[in-house]
Amino acid sequence: MTTLGDIFTIQLLLATLRLASPIALIALGETFSERAGIINVGVEGTAVLGALVSALVGYFTGSPWIALIAAMVAGGLAGALHAVWCIRFRANHVVSGIGINILVAGLALFITSAVWGWRGTSASAPTLSTWYITGAAFLLVFASQIFLFRTKWGLRLRVVGEKPEAADTAGVNVHRTRYVYTILNGVLCGLAGAFFFNSVGRFTSGMVGGRGFIGIAAMVVGNYSPIGGLGAALLFGFIDALQMRLQGFIPSQFSIMLPYLLTVIALAFFIRKANVPAALGKHYIKQ
Amino acid sequence: MKGNTSLSKGSTLLRELGITALSIVLAFGISAFIVWAAGFSVSAVFINLWKGAFGGKLALGSTLTKSTPIILTSLSFLLAFRCGLFNIGAEGQLYIGAIVAAVVGAYIHLPAALHVVVCLLAGGLGGALWGWIPGYLKAKRGVNEFVSTMMLSYVAIGLTDYLVAPRGPLHDTKYWANQTIRIAPTAALPRIMKPTQVSMALIVAVFFALVVWYYLFRTPAGYELRGVGLSPPAAEYGGIRIERKLILALTLAGFLAGLAGTGEVLGTHFRFIGRFSPGYGWDGIAGGLIARAHPIGAIFAALLMGALRAGGMQVQRSGAAPGDIAAVIQGLVIFFIIAPTLIRVLIHWRKK
Repeated sequence: MTTLGDIFTIQLLLATLRLASPIALIALGETFSERAGIINVGVEGTAVLGALVSALVGYFTGSPWIALIAAMVAGGLAGALHAVWCIRFRANHVVSGIGINILVAGLALFITSAVWGWRGTSASAPTLSTWYITGAAFLLVFASQIFLFRTKWGLRLRVVGEKPEAADTAGVNVHRTRYVYTILNGVLCGLAGAFFFNSVGRFTSGMVGGRGFIGIAAMVVGNYSPIGGLGAALLFGFIDALQMRLQGFIPSQFSIMLPYLLTVIALAFFIRKANVPAALGKHYIKQ
Repeated sequence: MKGNTSLSKGSTLLRELGITALSIVLAFGISAFIVWAAGFSVSAVFINLWKGAFGGKLALGSTLTKSTPIILTSLSFLLAFRCGLFNIGAEGQLYIGAIVAAVVGAYIHLPAALHVVVCLLAGGLGGALWGWIPGYLKAKRGVNEFVSTMMLSYVAIGLTDYLVAPRGPLHDTKYWANQTIRIAPTAALPRIMKPTQVSMALIVAVFFALVVWYYLFRTPAGYELRGVGLSPPAAEYGGIRIERKLILALTLAGFLAGLAGTGEVLGTHFRFIGRFSPGYGWDGIAGGLIARAHPIGAIFAALLMGALRAGGMQVQRSGAAPGDIAAVIQGLVIFFIIAPTLIRVLIHWRKK
């Protein structure tokens, strides 16, 4: 019989750090693309794609490292697709992101059925320790904080999202900047997807389970800064770690819904509108 | 969420239909390539897709049954969309509506015609409540409705799972399955195309498509709602109280999605079954987009979604390929339809 005292242990702390990392990666990616002016709600589907490709490439090559790189490449391609749609074809950003989520959900079911014969589930494939990804996530967040607010490239990125006309006048290529950071967002989501795969060792279609959307929420709560996003991700990671340990105490249906409920509550209480990029979601048409 | 919410700016109806048709053709073309690349027979897949969707009365019935809730969830998505909001939580609103309808249908006793109407209203209101919450949070606290409607869907699914699970309060103790007891015969919507499962819910859904069309395009309230979607500053300048419109739009969207779940309970399953929806709420997002946010278009878009679902099942049964190729087609259609300048660019390339 476990008691509440057994729940709050060093394991809970470690689980918090681990579970926060994919959310932090997605929040970081979204911070980059939204700072450049591109909303990407396709991060959920992009993470699913990363997990799927991890399983697929790991299964066929036997190397979890090649699988990891493939997941990031696949994520980057999804980001590129979104960027082309938003910039070249002037699609509504949110709608294009929804398109990615729906397309990937369909592809995941089709590919798992076609390759392994099980709808939405892969065979097991070799993994690497998720601590590599967690470590990378923390390093990337701190590096990005400096990049975004202490370097000229970071400044250019922010201006593109705030005042694209001014950036253009100053000689910054608005479209190219947006392509680069939307693709970077995809790469980070692909990495987050690889985390989900590596923590289980096989792909299942529900494994991301809304963590992509929680990543967006973390970015909002963290007020569009990498460190802030990490802080919010740690909160969500803690809830995630806690709910798994609460399952003996409350009905599992309730503990499972806890992260989602708390995301809504966090958004309602931590809301700050100060740092929303001014040109977010708007198409830039060069004069 | 900011963004240009008009899918159809400066386009004539004919051009819209042309782009939609071209998008569907392109999507089918690319999926044929995927089927071929994966090593399946393209002709077998598409023949079975057709057979499962329209090949005979049973197939047609299957298509119409699946289209029915999707008409309503598509309306749910597009109504919020017209107000500049993204309701991607129709799935959760559908479940809440369904469980409320199942309770009112099973535990309250009323004369036949009245009982059905009360159930429909109760189910709609259940969904409306689930839409009101994100609407209120959006209007009063600025909470991004995209994330909150999505999160609340997970909550709704967990909540209904709990209610009908073996130790839950609404569990039918006679069976092991996660479901409620049967609704009273007085609460059932009659079947209209026996032996298929097509029920009066289809008529209800089409009726509401007309209602939403009338509301959006023929009433001052609907005009104001669209005004908020097109330009919030202009709407505010024109004296429209934006906050109220945002709450109203998501509440109405929730009502429509709740009705979708209600129709499933009253016309298809006659009880609430845990996780009965194969994703009708998510299909509504696709349906609303394919309809280019037009209520009458939603009927046809939902028909396409329903046909893909029914056809996909036949593809699966026949062994020609995994039935989920239908979901891939759906995703591709959306991708082509949402890029306003894509088709123009393609035509331009060809001319070069």
